[in-house]
Amino acid sequence: MPTNPPSSLIDRRRFLDWGAQGVGATAALSLLQGSLPGQTLPQFAPHARRVVQISLPGGLSHLDSFDPKPELEKLHGKKFSSEEKPDIFFGKVGLFRKADWGFKPRGRSGIEVSDLFPHLASIADELTVIRSLVTNSANHTPACFFVNTGFEFNGYPSLGSWVSYGLGNESDDLPTYVVLPDRSGRPSGGAANWSSAFLPALHQGVEFRHGDKPVRDLHPPADVSRSADAGVREFLREVNTKHHARVGGDDLLTDRMRSYELAARMQLAVPEVSKLENEPESVTDAYGLHEKSTEEFARRCILARRLLEQGVRFVQIYAGSLIHWDAHGDLVKNHGNNARAIDKPVAALVRDLKQRGMLDDTLVLFTTEFGRTPFSQADAGKVGSGRDHNRYGFSSWMAGAGLKPGFTYGRTDEIGWKVAKNPVTWHDFHATVLHLLGLDHERLTFYHNGIQRRLTNVHGRALHELIA
Amino acid sequence: MRRLFVDLLGLPPDPEQVRAFEKEPSRAAYEELVDDLLTSPHHGERWARHWLDVVRYGESDGFERNRLRGNAWHYRDWVIRALNRDMPYDEFVRKQISGDLTHPGAGGTAAVGFLVAGVHNTVVGSSQEMKLLARQDELEEIAGAIGQTFLGLTVNCARCHDHKYDPIPTKDYYRLISAIDGVRHGNREVLVEDRAKEIAELDARISDLGDSLATLDRAAVDSIRAKRESEPEPTQQALPEALAVWAFDRDYRDAKGSIESSPSGRPRLENGALVLDGKSFVKSVPLKQDLGEKTLVATVVLDNLGQRGGGVITVAGKDGFDSIVFGERDPKRWMAGSEGFRRTKPFGGAEETVADKEPVQIAITYAKDGTITGYRNGQPHGKPYKTGLRQFKAGDAHVIFGLRHEPAGGNQFLTGKVLESRLFDRALLPDEVAALAGVESDFVSEADLLASLKPEEKERRANLQEEIRTSRDRRQKIASGQKRKIYTVSPGAPGVMRVHVRGSVKDYGEEVTPGGIQAVPGVNAEFSLAKNAPDRERRIKLAEWIGSPNNPLLARVMVNRVWHYHFGRGLVKTPSDLGWNGGQPSHPELLDWLSVKFRDSGFRLKALHRMIVLSATYRQSSRKDAAAFAKDAHNRWLWRHSPRRVEAEVLRDSILSVAGVLDRRAGGPGFKDFTVKESGTAFYFPIDREDAAFNRRTVYRFNPRGERSAVLDTFDCPDPAAAAPTRGVTTTPLQALSLMNNPFVLRMAGHFAKRLQAEAGNELEAQIRRAWELAFFRLPDAEEERASRKLAEAHGFESLCRALWNSNEWVYVE
Repeated sequence: MPTNPPSSLIDRRRFLDWGAQGVGATAALSLLQGSLPGQTLPQFAPHARRVVQISLPGGLSHLDSFDPKPELEKLHGKKFSSEEKPDIFFGKVGLFRKADWGFKPRGRSGIEVSDLFPHLASIADELTVIRSLVTNSANHTPACFFVNTGFEFNGYPSLGSWVSYGLGNESDDLPTYVVLPDRSGRPSGGAANWSSAFLPALHQGVEFRHGDKPVRDLHPPADVSRSADAGVREFLREVNTKHHARVGGDDLLTDRMRSYELAARMQLAVPEVSKLENEPESVTDAYGLHEKSTEEFARRCILARRLLEQGVRFVQIYAGSLIHWDAHGDLVKNHGNNARAIDKPVAALVRDLKQRGMLDDTLVLFTTEFGRTPFSQADAGKVGSGRDHNRYGFSSWMAGAGLKPGFTYGRTDEIGWKVAKNPVTWHDFHATVLHLLGLDHERLTFYHNGIQRRLTNVHGRALHELIA
Repeated sequence: MRRLFVDLLGLPPDPEQVRAFEKEPSRAAYEELVDDLLTSPHHGERWARHWLDVVRYGESDGFERNRLRGNAWHYRDWVIRALNRDMPYDEFVRKQISGDLTHPGAGGTAAVGFLVAGVHNTVVGSSQEMKLLARQDELEEIAGAIGQTFLGLTVNCARCHDHKYDPIPTKDYYRLISAIDGVRHGNREVLVEDRAKEIAELDARISDLGDSLATLDRAAVDSIRAKRESEPEPTQQALPEALAVWAFDRDYRDAKGSIESSPSGRPRLENGALVLDGKSFVKSVPLKQDLGEKTLVATVVLDNLGQRGGGVITVAGKDGFDSIVFGERDPKRWMAGSEGFRRTKPFGGAEETVADKEPVQIAITYAKDGTITGYRNGQPHGKPYKTGLRQFKAGDAHVIFGLRHEPAGGNQFLTGKVLESRLFDRALLPDEVAALAGVESDFVSEADLLASLKPEEKERRANLQEEIRTSRDRRQKIASGQKRKIYTVSPGAPGVMRVHVRGSVKDYGEEVTPGGIQAVPGVNAEFSLAKNAPDRERRIKLAEWIGSPNNPLLARVMVNRVWHYHFGRGLVKTPSDLGWNGGQPSHPELLDWLSVKFRDSGFRLKALHRMIVLSATYRQSSRKDAAAFAKDAHNRWLWRHSPRRVEAEVLRDSILSVAGVLDRRAGGPGFKDFTVKESGTAFYFPIDREDAAFNRRTVYRFNPRGERSAVLDTFDCPDPAAAAPTRGVTTTPLQALSLMNNPFVLRMAGHFAKRLQAEAGNELEAQIRRAWELAFFRLPDAEEERASRKLAEAHGFESLCRALWNSNEWVYVE
């Protein structure tokens, strides 16, 4: 082990040299880089002002929903062969399986959507369907992180957090980024999916939960009276004002005093926005709030619209907890039930936004972490009842603000396994979303731990082909 | 006063301490107070929390499964102890890279927990490509942490391209990766240090007893052999001349006397055999001549036929080896071993059935044309095959018994006895091998030996054996009872690293040797190691390179961190990035001066803290000066001590302390204020209830990734998913809500109120004064007292306590 040499042995100049080099270079560099400190304005004219994202954890089968493959009808029961070993999860490659729901051209656009989603099919003319998504992982959690953060690992800010950081809030009394998890719990990967990670904590997704306490610590426990609350607030106003005068009027201190006023307003605003009673029955009916199978999701879709109306920037609705859509077996039952629960409410949300004129500047995203395989999951020589994970090609759609409605982009190969044209990565998808919001994905950066971080890492391209 | 306590301990002072100081606020009293605080055990806890932020310490794997790491806390405790003992910083750094090698035992092993403190992907894809990629990701994570923590350099980018900002070429990156290629995540069992002495004494005793036994046996064996030699031997075919012959009679030397060998672990010589226990081996000095064509011969008895992969005799050079190996590829079968099976495969001979009962002789010949032929007891064994011949250079190759190849570990050890072994510098012919098999071993069996002993010798021998056995048992008992499982580096065999072109695992560039980053001045980035050097050599060199007092970044980066935590911002405001992409120092000469001072003080952190907190700059007031504010609103030039919001942990610890319930016990496993549900992924659910077990300092909270409790979360306590060399300081309505309404805060307000009553009696005024004194270390003025009285009278003391903890004076340190 080296021991400390007497300092005279080390040339002091050499010891300090590094600093001198570092300084000069940094000064030159900061002129070139022009990174944005915590900004709040769009960088150019935006199409969208707010976003609602519907996330389907587990992996929706594109082959049974938005990506018709007539070839599979012919290949059903035949053997899949490929020189390349598919990167799937269970590794059991069964025989081909055709779609379990029929496809038809819909609306004026003629976009083919299957009967799995009859209500979404009826608004096909509003949708911009991407049939050529690819992702890096065929495992749920990393794939979910990838959709949300652009990285397969936890520890990176989610799309909603970046939007919050980039555009700030329009509402004083509600959070910028609200997450509506399923009643049954969180998706695979948990709260890390809406983490602000190294962005400041105010950009974190705030969970609105079921029941009468939607936001954590919104109110004190029942045994603390309202008047005690008011007493504490009055005391705080008094002592904080005195303290402020003594220390010398620091912004930090006034900000903090103001945060208590905002908290009080949030205590009123959250229950108010969560009240669906005042929605007319024609609206709640359209969402399916009064039907057993759709009630749960309808509630959250209506709440999402109300939050967006109140100026919340980004709302994310989870269609199920954990890996809800993960149909390794009995896909008919899994997708059938799951789709029934969300089909009508999501279609109603898009229509409702349109009727209110909000679809012009609201972006609707409908995403899942990966698709499913054209071959079934079964022992060799069998047609299994489900499909394994497919990261090589799958579908998603966007709707609203600035997009070409009734438009499809990209395609998979004949069997729907791999992308054959215009592959779209999540980085491209994210770059497009940011672009629609008036943000350049290469310039929306945050310095963390030695690196100017971006949502899109060092990749991504805004898909101008999708924009009207 | 409060500033000093919060900065050095992370806890509020007692009102009594403040009162005593205020009575006589001299410089001497202040210095004395500083010294007291620096020797408090809570100082290490406070500064360990900062360090754990920097080194991305978390107690679950992250990624998909995010499983708990039950044994990671040893590293946290090691950091706390090291800081409390004021371990010199250069040593502190070196131990975190190679402590398990230089200081084996619980301390050194826990220290390298640094290397694996980060996330770990336990679900890698099924394809080879995915596995290689996952391993490179893992190494990048570790290299990134090393670069940023100790050097303030971001090396990660150089994985794919020469670094844009810092002068780090991709080749340097892979040299660094090569230096840590032996690092793997895992648990290790380690002996607790305080029993080590006892174990060493037992070892010495066992060794003495063993010597006595050996002396006794040797005399008997010699007499038996002398007797055998006097008997006429059957005529024999002339034996081929060997390069070396090992009989293992008295020592490890070859019988021709030219090749010395030395033991590793605890091999024994017993009755003319080398006894190998599966953890030991014997290695020769380098061979003096080139060796190409060759024959390896060994007579061996195995302990069991279930073992897989032990080497009997090996010739090992820098880039590869030849070896007689048992059961590695196929169970119970002999084969020639080579690096990664590159040149060899099983002979396809019959399964071994008797080698655990009687000696068998195995020979392998390596012909010039690359043909490898196996023999068992002189008869051809399986089929010869032709691959390539390994050439060993003079001075390069060693002979090893009992180990397939170095570095030692895994399944490479043999368990059994080698009775005799020979090495030839040519490939023997079949009849020569057959002749060798006819050679009688001078092995003396246990039965022969016992038969030759006198009754009293027999008894003495039995006693010695019995005492050895009981001593061994005792040693075993102490050792196993005092073992500790630690989540730390589980060293693996590093490979030869190559540049990965653009970070790809399909496109490789040149091979590299382990090394450092050339751009770091003052230290030599050339480690002068072989490409395939063992983990030990690589990490020790790495530690010496980074932790060298001549490395100017070592002092500079740490001085800046310490400054950052004392003033809320570093002299360079990006503490893990002092490279060309980081900020410019606000006071370059000061940073230089402090760095030199720090180094010359022997890298003593406590001396650095002392110097800073005694400075006039540190002792400035927080008060705003309008003129100065107009010129420098952000206080970059330190015209005052900016008020700072306390961190989440200080807030929680202070609440516990003032409430009078803080449990000050140090060390050990963390408390878990959550339940865990595992369903592929581990989910964490916070527990919200009164529980004395949760009243310890927050640094002792079990800290999984992705789950913090409400108060910590809203107050910017970072998720340990990534390093946090600086923390966010936000002010949000959610923060106000959690401090007002979180059940933890309200429960603690109840304890605080009870404490007031216990310490100040039922008198309202006395309780109010005590409340202010405990929370703010001062008495309320008349207005404050009136407001307090009004609140307490209307809504009880719980409400007053809740209110005090929500005030700016509580949340900000002036």
